[in-house]
Amino acid sequence: MNEHDMKDEQNDTPEKSTTNESRRNFLKLGAAGAGLAAAAAGGVTVLKRMEGLPLDHFPLPINDEYVRIDQRNQINTYSFSKKLNDDHPERTKKFHDWNFYEKKKGFFIGPYRDKAAGQGQLDRALGAAGFFSPVSQLGYKSTGMDSLNAGVASWEQTMLAKEKYKFASPEEATLCIKSAARLFGAVRCGITPRDERWDYNPLYDAATDEVLTWEKDFPFKPRSVIVVMVDMDYDAIATAPAWTTDGATGDGYGKAIKLAGQLAVFIRQLGYQAVASMNDLGMNVPYAVAAGLGEAARNGAVITPHYGPRVRVAKIYTDFDFVEYAKPRDFGVASFCKNCKRCADSCPSKAITLGDPSWGPEYSTDPDYIWQASKGVFKFHNDAKLCFKFWIENDGSCAACIASCPYNKPDFWHHRLVDAQNVIAPGPVHSFMREMDILFGYGKVSDPERVTKFWKSGAKI
Amino acid sequence: MMDLTWYLLGALSCAIVYGLYELSQKQRLNWLDWTGLILGAVLILFAIAWSVGAVLEGVPRAGSMGMLLFGLPGIVLTTLSLRFILARKEKVS
Ligand code: SF4
Ligand code: SF4
Repeated sequence: MNEHDMKDEQNDTPEKSTTNESRRNFLKLGAAGAGLAAAAAGGVTVLKRMEGLPLDHFPLPINDEYVRIDQRNQINTYSFSKKLNDDHPERTKKFHDWNFYEKKKGFFIGPYRDKAAGQGQLDRALGAAGFFSPVSQLGYKSTGMDSLNAGVASWEQTMLAKEKYKFASPEEATLCIKSAARLFGAVRCGITPRDERWDYNPLYDAATDEVLTWEKDFPFKPRSVIVVMVDMDYDAIATAPAWTTDGATGDGYGKAIKLAGQLAVFIRQLGYQAVASMNDLGMNVPYAVAAGLGEAARNGAVITPHYGPRVRVAKIYTDFDFVEYAKPRDFGVASFCKNCKRCADSCPSKAITLGDPSWGPEYSTDPDYIWQASKGVFKFHNDAKLCFKFWIENDGSCAACIASCPYNKPDFWHHRLVDAQNVIAPGPVHSFMREMDILFGYGKVSDPERVTKFWKSGAKI
Repeated sequence: MMDLTWYLLGALSCAIVYGLYELSQKQRLNWLDWTGLILGAVLILFAIAWSVGAVLEGVPRAGSMGMLLFGLPGIVLTTLSLRFILARKEKVS
């Protein structure tokens, strides 16, 4: 009891003291109630913020310098075509005399390496099995995930119903499409109007070296793009850049293309035209952003709530447009990326910029070197060629920029709490959170322990 | 396993609330006592939930860091608050 309380007690009569006591209790209760209400309101605001603030515009500024990407300049497509590489000796010369086509030929078939580092026969077998799924679905075309008009991503409008199904409202149509997507394995789905800016122009089939146009070759004029996401296994991705990650990457592609193929059939059975697409036809990141599924991040991927960059994106182009379109959303990722840079620090090839967003690549201005880059979009510009070169040298895909990202976490309550904190906290706190992430032991790459851990991850099933 | 942890933490929270009520009946607590005790208890509960989660996801280092950064301040805060309350009680009696 403090002095003040004792004085009060000495001066008060019994009735006065009782009245004061109950008034005090009443005030205390009121304050507690107000505190609880404020906490609840704060919680609701944070939850809403975590779902993203809807935007009326595409979040990345674009200027007149922007031109649609020629699919021949898309690095995977380019690397699959001998003709394209032969046509551009200046590119090879400028890039350490490194011919993408020749180097790619030896990819994924090199001798086994260090087993402890996740580059032994066991890990190679996992990667090959993972990629067996998408490759077989895309009809074993030699152009991998960028195959155009192949397998389940065929342009043929098979199983197209004669009668067009009529939905009661665009909202109902969107909900039904998203429900079907969920059934077929999507963790996220959004529908956005087809935006020619994000579609390759012209298209290029690296298997046949044919240049194709949307107007003459594509079977219909797309009006909408359904964007879907599947997640990749956390434990396998955590082994990056070991070959073990290929199991998750390949499997992610397999799940994504299966889902997109099924959804395309679903739309066709409703009487509308549809084509599934993996990495071909258009760019996944801007479409995913436009569909409100995530934000474009420093590591060149799209970061989506709960999964971070540990997702694969596929698309379904359709002429069906009686839908409720999604809006892009601000999840606070761009602001976090400005201070974080963890992916750039972890990138073995130093392909990821440590700088701020810019209108074009800052690593070079030489047109013979930056042929693959886009200009006129205010974003993080990375050197995809360096990334690709590392893959070839590593003889497996990498994913260190996914594994190291603080947004890449498994589904545990404490990570959702940190996510909530990150969306409301200002910039300097983001730098602190990055340091905490390291201190707590998350996002370490090139760690043989992660490989051992992955190979024990099946113990409980 | 996490479900069981939530259940046990719920029971522990009830015990803490009851303990605080009993204490407030026996001893007059000022706002500083309340703040110290409640914050201390919340930090300890939080540290347990965090650490169990971290161990379950297979990142024991995050679990120990959680104990160190949340649990330890929680224990210090609770102990100090209780010590102050006891010291005052002895002084008054
Ligand atoms: S995949 Fe690997 S090499 Fe490529 S950008 Fe990411 S971290 Fe760098
Ligand atoms: S690691 Fe950091 S900077 Fe890189 S994408 Fe993730 S949040 Fe952004």
